[in-house]
Amino acid sequence: MIVALVVVAAVVGLALVGAVAWREHRHFVDAEESRRRDDEMHRRHEDEVAESEARLWLSLDAITQGVVMADDEGNVLYRNSYARQFTEARHGEALVEAAVAELLAEAAQGRAVEREVELFGPPRRCMFVSAMPLTLEGRDYGSVALIDDITEPQRLDAMRRDFVANISHELRTPMGALSLLAETLAGERDPEVASRLAMRVQAEAIRLSDIMDDLLELSRIESDESSEREPIAIQHVISDALSRAKPSAEEKEVPIETVLPALDLVVHADRRQLTSAVFNLLDNAVKYSEAARPVKVTTRLEGDWVEVEVRDQGYGIPLGHQERIFERFYQVDRSRERTDGGVGLGLAIVRHVANNHGGEVRVESTEGEGSSFTLALLVGAQP
Amino acid sequence: MEELRKSFHEELDEIQTGIVRMAALVTESVPRATESLLESNLELAQQLITDDDELDYLSVHLEERCHQVLALQSPMAGDLRALSTALRLNAELERSGDLAVNIAKATRRIYGTRYDATLRGLLVRMSEEACRLVRLAIDSYVDRNAGLAAALDDIDDQLDGLNRDCVQAVFQAHNDGAIDLQAAVQLCLISRYYERIGDHAVNIGERVVYMVTGWLPEHTGSARLKIRERQHLDETDEETGED
Repeated sequence: MIVALVVVAAVVGLALVGAVAWREHRHFVDAEESRRRDDEMHRRHEDEVAESEARLWLSLDAITQGVVMADDEGNVLYRNSYARQFTEARHGEALVEAAVAELLAEAAQGRAVEREVELFGPPRRCMFVSAMPLTLEGRDYGSVALIDDITEPQRLDAMRRDFVANISHELRTPMGALSLLAETLAGERDPEVASRLAMRVQAEAIRLSDIMDDLLELSRIESDESSEREPIAIQHVISDALSRAKPSAEEKEVPIETVLPALDLVVHADRRQLTSAVFNLLDNAVKYSEAARPVKVTTRLEGDWVEVEVRDQGYGIPLGHQERIFERFYQVDRSRERTDGGVGLGLAIVRHVANNHGGEVRVESTEGEGSSFTLALLVGAQP
Repeated sequence: MEELRKSFHEELDEIQTGIVRMAALVTESVPRATESLLESNLELAQQLITDDDELDYLSVHLEERCHQVLALQSPMAGDLRALSTALRLNAELERSGDLAVNIAKATRRIYGTRYDATLRGLLVRMSEEACRLVRLAIDSYVDRNAGLAAALDDIDDQLDGLNRDCVQAVFQAHNDGAIDLQAAVQLCLISRYYERIGDHAVNIGERVVYMVTGWLPEHTGSARLKIRERQHLDETDEETGED
């Protein structure tokens, strides 16, 4: 009986110990499972954060604006790829980096600040740097600086302003002259003087008409309407343009030399537009050359490009004006405009013709030595 | 100790950044000065004169910083040469900035003068060439490129040639009655200022060669003088012996 009781007690004891052990084992397993789940969640969370950060950094790198983040003392924590180009800069661009550092230090004091940094280059650029503190619900998160290249918006703005001013000037000058001449003519009794005045009225009217013609030509080329593309030999275009430019060249005693390749160079283009472009280059070269200083037209094949180069030994174009001469009505020297007769539409026409044909126009010029304009078109191309 | 050296090299890097920033101010001020001259833009000339204060400020601070590092860190060998080079470059760049200011001041003195295309072209080319030399000098400094630094002396020949052409063109314009004597004198000085900016770039090149190799062109002259002195002493000894 006692033995049986001892056995029962032992069994019960063992069962209890087993139950406790089992319970502890379950606890241990559950804790392990929970820890594993926590780790998994933590890892997933970390992956999500890393992925989100990578997405953020890649997005910041993709934008064409510099972003520099700093802590609350102005120490830089991050730069996107656009901003990094200024960190390594050793010439003019180094001034942008200096401006960023200064503005971030000011933003760290809680002020939003901005500055324009004009770089003379070349190329000439204008950068807009702004910095502001980062705060959320009263908490300070440091500051951020943004770098914008505002060269192009500034150029377009200046172009718009100048266009309105120039077109008013160009139209008002002959109109004013016409009005004065007509007034004088009305009161003039001497037939000889009246005849001279009438000739001046005619000259001013022709000038006005030329401006309108050029404007209409430019407008047509800009919209590229009724453009008829055909395969044409560039030699024929040069020949047409030469015959148009010949009278003014002979009048100014400026010889025109041509260098043409032996074989026909064919381009797929609108003959009328292309002739107009080459004529304008020739006309400009003649206009800004002195007598006996030859203008040279060279046509050549450079890789896949047919190049027409018009080189003169004229006044040349100051460096600061070279970027703007293709704008409508842009004049390098307004004092020469009346004597040389240009209104500043020729090069705008050339640029649009080049663009319409998937080509380009380049200029190289040194003041006092002359200029060289090159119109490049893809050989046989059908844009 | 390692921490101290790290901070020392950070100091050297920051000094180099300061030099690069000064050079950037110079290469920006030279075309600005040229534009103020050729466009007779007095506002731009005045702005340039005022902006030179920033270059002076940077120069003073950079010099103080170099002295501080020299006093506190006692650098040796390459580090010492880097610091002494930074001090010299600082002076050369500050002086180049002053020369750009001189051009802006001359703009005011000859306000209203119209230059012919040849003269304008030469002045623009001198301005570009002077800037190119400063840029190359700074490239050689940042890249520790002793070859490029040594070549600056020869590259500068082009600017020297342009200076001669420019002075000749000024004389011609004065003879033709296109510019008065005052303008002619100022334009010759302006031409000289550009040429001097080029000379300062060459000086920077020489100091970069010294920084990288420890050798200066003056070392050759100095060695020659020592040889001459030794020969003279030997001859004197021989003469005394004969007596």
